[in-house]
Amino acid sequence: MSSSGHPKTTYDVLRAHGVDRRKFLKFCTLTAAAMGLDVSLVPKVVEAMETKPRIPVIWLHGLECTCCSESFIRSSHPIAQDVILNMISLDYDDTLQAAAGEQVEEIRRKVMKEHPGEYVLAVEGNAPTNDGGVYCTVGGDTFLNVLRETAEHAKFVVAWGSCASNGCVQSAYPNPTGAKPVHELIHGKPIVNVPGCPPIAEVMTGVLTYVLTFGRLPELDSFHRPKMFYAQRIHDKCYRRAYFDAGQFVEEWDDDGARKGWCLYKMGCRGPTTYNSCSTFKWNNGVSYPIGSGHGCIGCSENNFWDNSPFYDRLTSIPVPGIEATPDGVGETLAIAAGVGVAAHFASFMVKKGLDRSRGRDAESDE
Amino acid sequence: MATNVGAFRPEELAASPHRFFRRRYVWQWPIRVFHWTNAISITVLFLTGLYIAHPILAPAGEAYKAFVMGRVRQIHFLFAFIFAVGFIWRMYWFWMGNNYARSGFPFFWRRSWWQDLFRQLGDYLHLRRGHVHLGHNALGGLSYTVFVIALGWAQLLTGLAMYSESNPGGFWSSLVGWVIPLAGGSFQVHMWHHLFAWLFVVFAILHLYIVFYDGQQYKNGLVTSMISGVKFYQEGDVDHDSWLS
Repeated sequence: MSSSGHPKTTYDVLRAHGVDRRKFLKFCTLTAAAMGLDVSLVPKVVEAMETKPRIPVIWLHGLECTCCSESFIRSSHPIAQDVILNMISLDYDDTLQAAAGEQVEEIRRKVMKEHPGEYVLAVEGNAPTNDGGVYCTVGGDTFLNVLRETAEHAKFVVAWGSCASNGCVQSAYPNPTGAKPVHELIHGKPIVNVPGCPPIAEVMTGVLTYVLTFGRLPELDSFHRPKMFYAQRIHDKCYRRAYFDAGQFVEEWDDDGARKGWCLYKMGCRGPTTYNSCSTFKWNNGVSYPIGSGHGCIGCSENNFWDNSPFYDRLTSIPVPGIEATPDGVGETLAIAAGVGVAAHFASFMVKKGLDRSRGRDAESDE
Repeated sequence: MATNVGAFRPEELAASPHRFFRRRYVWQWPIRVFHWTNAISITVLFLTGLYIAHPILAPAGEAYKAFVMGRVRQIHFLFAFIFAVGFIWRMYWFWMGNNYARSGFPFFWRRSWWQDLFRQLGDYLHLRRGHVHLGHNALGGLSYTVFVIALGWAQLLTGLAMYSESNPGGFWSSLVGWVIPLAGGSFQVHMWHHLFAWLFVVFAILHLYIVFYDGQQYKNGLVTSMISGVKFYQEGDVDHDSWLS
């Protein structure tokens, strides 16, 4: 953890660590490549690293499992060590820092006081809101209060992972603690959502690098996700897509199709409805990703993905609260009801016709 | 009620059918074309949609030799666009067509429309021959507005939103991309689209039955009118699309 008092640039820090100019330029080029920038923009990255003071970052942990941090520290392009030690000034992270207690909370307040409107607030996890937010407390205060207090003077808010972006498991039905994602609690601040459970390490460092380099948030989509990492579905870049188009699907986990690596669509794969970079970046330094390991995507970066379970069915329960039925079940029931109604109407029509006829005959015989 | 409707007297019909039945050209050809492109495209869309949701064919061999899912999706998209063009065409003809082209519109701010709605419902439930309409009766018009127009737009919007997903930032995604966040996500859009599709089946059952029943009850040639455009009425029948004027 570096001290926040000295507005050193990234270049200053790298030089102090013995990095020469040549290596610095290489680092900038790699960083630009990691963000998917054109070569012509490398000088901008260099300029930013040379002139802009390192951004102070406060990294809060709320109701979460720390899988985002676990993912983050495994980033390889750029490596997390570079991001934490050189690029940003990570002043407060209660999970990673060695210090504890009142001193740590003092650092947080100091950064807020010394750099109002300059520091970046990174939030891992979300805040329960029921009963005054008592279901998650940090340093003697509710996380809800800590989050609001810290966000007040932040320049941007980065919502790490599905917890902070869309609620994840703690806000799944019936959500007993009233957990809410960051964008429902903080208003009037630029927020970038980086969903995933956890998000891909390179996506996390990529977002931070972008914010650091350009001093603004990357282009966001309608869910406030950076388009550069969340514009496409896993399905559209999936290496098993050819089997989908061919119509060759795994039917059982141990069938021939599974051994041949056919499409996992019928096993409930959420690739066609999930926006993430898994099929492009892959995980653990590009080793593999769930579909690559023979398991369908569970859609962990999508809204309410827990409520879309079971993960092994393509069509699960319809999105109407209180009704536990598949769309096919509802549709078939309605169709049968319509058929029964029609049949009943037709039967009564025939009965009436028969009655009218016999009445007519009676009338005739009466005459 | 009986004052408005000539009682159906088979013996008169047999004696002089030409005098008994009057004919009126009701459904202009654009309406009939719209009806049949809808009938065909909804059938094809439902069947291909069932396959897309539950792919049951499994071609053997290497993936590059087969394109079953891809082809079925192409057919689904093709008929979706036919369906969409029909809708735009129908919107145009709503203004350009004759009064009967507007008779299905739910004029819910007019009392006469509500009266006709409940009267028609009562006539169907009591199995009696009531008011005669040459255009749509209020109940029929409402059912087409809900089950064809509203449901059709819901399917077009959710369907095109999913179609746009393969080209993020493209034309369709800029046009209908807002549907996905509105529904809460891509998964929810898929679910709604699939659920709505079943409502067409419900509609088809009700529609087919009522068309045959109504045609039988009123002897108005309702079934063939969607081919010829001509509907029949009897001497003494009064056209009751009164909310139109």
